[in-house]
Amino acid sequence: MTALLEVRNLVKTFAVRRGFMGGDRATVHALSDVSFTVEQGEAFGLVGESGCGKSTAGRAILRLIEADSGRVLFNGENVHDADARQLRRLRRRMQIVFQDPYSSLNPRRTIGRTLGEPMRVHGLGSPREIAARVRAVLAEVGMPSDAADKYPHEFSGGQRQRIGIARALVLEPELIVADEPVSALDVSIQAQILVLLRGLQERRRLGFVFISHDLGVVRHFCRTVAVMYLGRIVEQGRVPQIFDEPLHPYTRALRAASPVPDPKARVIMTRLEGEVASALAPPRGCHFHPRCPHAMPVCRETYPPWVQVAADRGVACHLYPAPAAPT
Amino acid sequence: MNSAPALAVEALTTEFRIEGRWHAAVRDVSFAVTRNETLALVGESGCGKSITALSIMGLVPKANGRIKSGRVVLDGRDLVGLPEAQMEKVRGGAIAMIFQEPMTSLNPVLPVGFQIQETLRYHTSLAPAQARARALELLSHVKIPSAARRFGDYPHQFSGGMRQRVMIAMALACNPRILLADEPTTALDVTIQAQVLALLAELKSEYGMAMLFITHNLGVVASIADRVAVMYAGDIIEMASVDALFARPTHPYTEALLSSIPRVDRHAGDLKPIAGQVPPITSMPQGCRYADRCPLRVAQCATMPPLVALADDATHRARCWVRAGGAALQ
Repeated sequence: MTALLEVRNLVKTFAVRRGFMGGDRATVHALSDVSFTVEQGEAFGLVGESGCGKSTAGRAILRLIEADSGRVLFNGENVHDADARQLRRLRRRMQIVFQDPYSSLNPRRTIGRTLGEPMRVHGLGSPREIAARVRAVLAEVGMPSDAADKYPHEFSGGQRQRIGIARALVLEPELIVADEPVSALDVSIQAQILVLLRGLQERRRLGFVFISHDLGVVRHFCRTVAVMYLGRIVEQGRVPQIFDEPLHPYTRALRAASPVPDPKARVIMTRLEGEVASALAPPRGCHFHPRCPHAMPVCRETYPPWVQVAADRGVACHLYPAPAAPT
Repeated sequence: MNSAPALAVEALTTEFRIEGRWHAAVRDVSFAVTRNETLALVGESGCGKSITALSIMGLVPKANGRIKSGRVVLDGRDLVGLPEAQMEKVRGGAIAMIFQEPMTSLNPVLPVGFQIQETLRYHTSLAPAQARARALELLSHVKIPSAARRFGDYPHQFSGGMRQRVMIAMALACNPRILLADEPTTALDVTIQAQVLALLAELKSEYGMAMLFITHNLGVVASIADRVAVMYAGDIIEMASVDALFARPTHPYTEALLSSIPRVDRHAGDLKPIAGQVPPITSMPQGCRYADRCPLRVAQCATMPPLVALADDATHRARCWVRAGGAALQ
C-alpha cells in the first residue's frame, strides 16, 4: 500500500539580513536533507527544541512555504510539482492545526462562518448542507450546538483548540499537520485535547504529523518519531524504543532533561553543557559535536551518515558505524 | 529543619474588582518557607499562584486589586501596608524575584553588566568600582561563559537561557533571603531548563536562600521542590513534602492532575482528562471549588472543607471532606 506521506531529502534555506540596517546577508539552513514516511492512519512525531526546523518541515509539507529541493509525495502524488488546481485538491486532504487557534480564527466572524468557509471555497454543498456539516463537526469535537453562532473571544483556550481542530476536519482530510497543538494549554485541558485527537485518529483513520517540543506528549500520541537538531533528523524510530533506549547523544540529553512528575526520577543535574548553536553558522561536521560528551575527532570533520540500525530505526551519529556489508 | 521561617504568608486574601464587585483571586492562603528550602506553588492558569507572589512583593495592581486581609511576614515584620518607599528597599533586597520572560525586566538599551551594577548601587553602599567588580563576579557566578567579555553586551545579544541567568545574577546581587521564581524556566527549551534548574538549586544551598518556586509543571516541581502547595481556584488544596505529594496525592484534583500528564518515562496507557473547567472567578461556588468536576463529590462538599493534616502524616494536609475529613476537628 502507498504511504500516506513520503518526504524525501527536503531542503529549505532562508536568506536573512543582519547587522546594522540589515547590511549583512546570511543563510539559515532551516531544513537539510529531511526524509521520513508517514503510513496511512499513523501518528508521526517531529520533536526538537526551538529552531530545530520542525515547524518549517510541517509548513513545507503543505507548501505553506516552498522548499528549495526535495520531494513530498501525498498518497504517491507529488505535492511540490502540483499546479494551482491540483494543489487545491490536495490541500483538501491535508490540513493544519496551529498552537494558537486564536490567531487562526477571524475574530469578527462567527465560528459557523469560519468553519463553513473552506467548504464554500471548494464549492462543496449548498448553504444548508454546509451548515449541517459544520454542526456535525462541532459536535464531533465536543462543542455545544450553539457554538456556530458565537465569536472566537467567547471561548476558552481549550474550546478554541477544539474549534481549530473542527476547522481542519470540515473537509474530511486524510492527514493533519498538528504544530504544537497542546503546548499553550493547561495540563488538564491538554489531556482533553489529546484524547479528542486520539479518538479522531482511530475513528477516521487520520494520519498525523505531530510537531511538539514535549517528549511526554509525543510518547503518548505518536507511534513513530523523528528527533531534529539544527535542521536535520538525528534519530528516527518507534516511540517506546527512542525514548527508552535513545541512541543519539542528543536524544539521550533531551530525554534526560525532560522533567518527569516523580521526585525519584529527578532530572539528572549532570546536564548537557552549552546551548544550541546558531542555525546561521552550524558547527562543522556533526552539528551537535560542541555539546556532545562523546565527540571524537571525526565528529568535528564530517557530518555522520544516516545509519539504519534496524529495519524501523535509524540514527546519524559516528558512534554507530554502518554495519559491514555481509560477506 | 530551621524552625524560624524566612517568610510566612498568613491567611492572605487578595481580591480584584470586576464590574464593581470584589472577587477573591487568592483566598485565605497560608504557608511558610524556611532558609535553604524550596516550596513550589503549583497549579493551572488562574489558580492564584502568581497573584500570591505579587501580593508578597506588594505589586498587586492598585487600580483594581487589593490585599483584603492577611499578613506577609519577613523576619518578624509584616510587609502588607508598608509604605512604598520601604517596600522598594525590600524588593531586590531581602526578597528578589525572577520572571518567566526576562526581557520584560531587563532594560533593552543598557548593557547587562551596568544593570546589575545599578541594582547594587541602589541597595548597597558599594562604590562604583566595587559594584562593578561584584557585578562581574555575579555574572561568572551564574555561569555566563566569558563573563568579562559579555559585561558590556545588551540583553538582545543574549539567548533566552543566558538572559535568565542575567536575571538570576541581578536577583542575587543583594544576597536575598527569599527568591521568588515565577515560571522561570517555562519559556526555555528543556535542555536549557535543566541547566537553569540546576543553577537555581545550587545557588539556593550556597546562599542559604528560601525559594518560592511558582510553576504549572509538575515535572519541574518533582525536580526542584522540597515541599509543594497545590492551588486550585484561589485555594491551597493540598500541601506536603515533595515525596509524599507524588507518592500519595490525596486531594482528588492533585490526583487527577497527575494522571492527566503524558509521561516520557513510561507508557501510561490512556490519559484521564479532568472533565469541565475551573469555575470563573465571578461565580465561584460556595463550598469546595473543585466539587463540580470531582468524581468523589458528596453532599458535604457544598460547604468549604478546611485544609487539615492527614491522620497518619501531620506534614501532609489536604482540603477535602472525603479524603482528609476534618469535620471532627472543626
